[in-house]
Amino acid sequence: MTPMRAMVIDDSRAMRMILKRIVTKLNFEAVEAGDGKEALDLLADMTEVPEVALIDWNMPNMNGLEFVTKVRADPRLREMTLVMVTTESEQSQIVRALAAGAHEYVIKPFTEGAMIEKLALLGLVPTGANS
Amino acid sequence: MSVEVEVDENDLAEMVEQVWESYLDPEGVSPLMQTYDENQPSEVHSSVSITGSWNGHVVYASSRAAAQRAAAAFLAMELDEVSEEDISDTLGELANIVGGNVKAMLPPGAQLSLPQVVLAPEASARFPNTERISGVYGLWEGEPVSISMWQSSTDTKEEGA
Repeated sequence: MTPMRAMVIDDSRAMRMILKRIVTKLNFEAVEAGDGKEALDLLADMTEVPEVALIDWNMPNMNGLEFVTKVRADPRLREMTLVMVTTESEQSQIVRALAAGAHEYVIKPFTEGAMIEKLALLGLVPTGANS
Repeated sequence: MSVEVEVDENDLAEMVEQVWESYLDPEGVSPLMQTYDENQPSEVHSSVSITGSWNGHVVYASSRAAAQRAAAAFLAMELDEVSEEDISDTLGELANIVGGNVKAMLPPGAQLSLPQVVLAPEASARFPNTERISGVYGLWEGEPVSISMWQSSTDTKEEGA
């Protein structure tokens, strides 16, 4: 069976490593990008779109909100689940991201358990994968 | 623009606790023990700047040993595997996380910069015309760590006006 794939988009290598460790533990194959533009470039070259993208907000070149907007405008990427993972925790920012097409929102700092719960809520991992 | 700073030591301490619980001490065995000593030494620091409805900086500072330990915990590595790049990335992300959470408590309209990391003491930081307004100072496994907020004196003067 082909493993599910998760794209981790964050300009912080440290945060990419944390997220990669979590999704790898959940048997996802992880793909990394340092900003929204790099992620779109990688997606353009992929024949199969990752099931989920974990997206930081504040990044150089193309921020997470712009990335979400562009993905939602592309029919080829329509099925990808988008999760914002960011320090932007103001209500207005959360509303903007969800309105742009993000499915879920995780505020940093987050525990590994909290992230797994969010992915379970989205049906990407079995409920109880955290235990 | 005159703003009232709504982030105090208790708020910072709560954020620090969340960071420790999430990344640096998920087992809850080595919390940051507060010393309340704002003059404790540091060897490395990172910062983010906030502009807009409030102007200033959020600074994470520590000894090199604490920074190395933070990187090892953050990146799930052994201490002796930690590189300079690992330390730098971890310090930057810690400032970003704390700064982002501080920003969320400020009036709307604040912007957060990308983090800056300097592998040199906090005392070498160049934040002209700023005043320290809040901070959490402590020891983590015996090593100094601090998180502080520095407000632009322009904002401070306006508040007092």
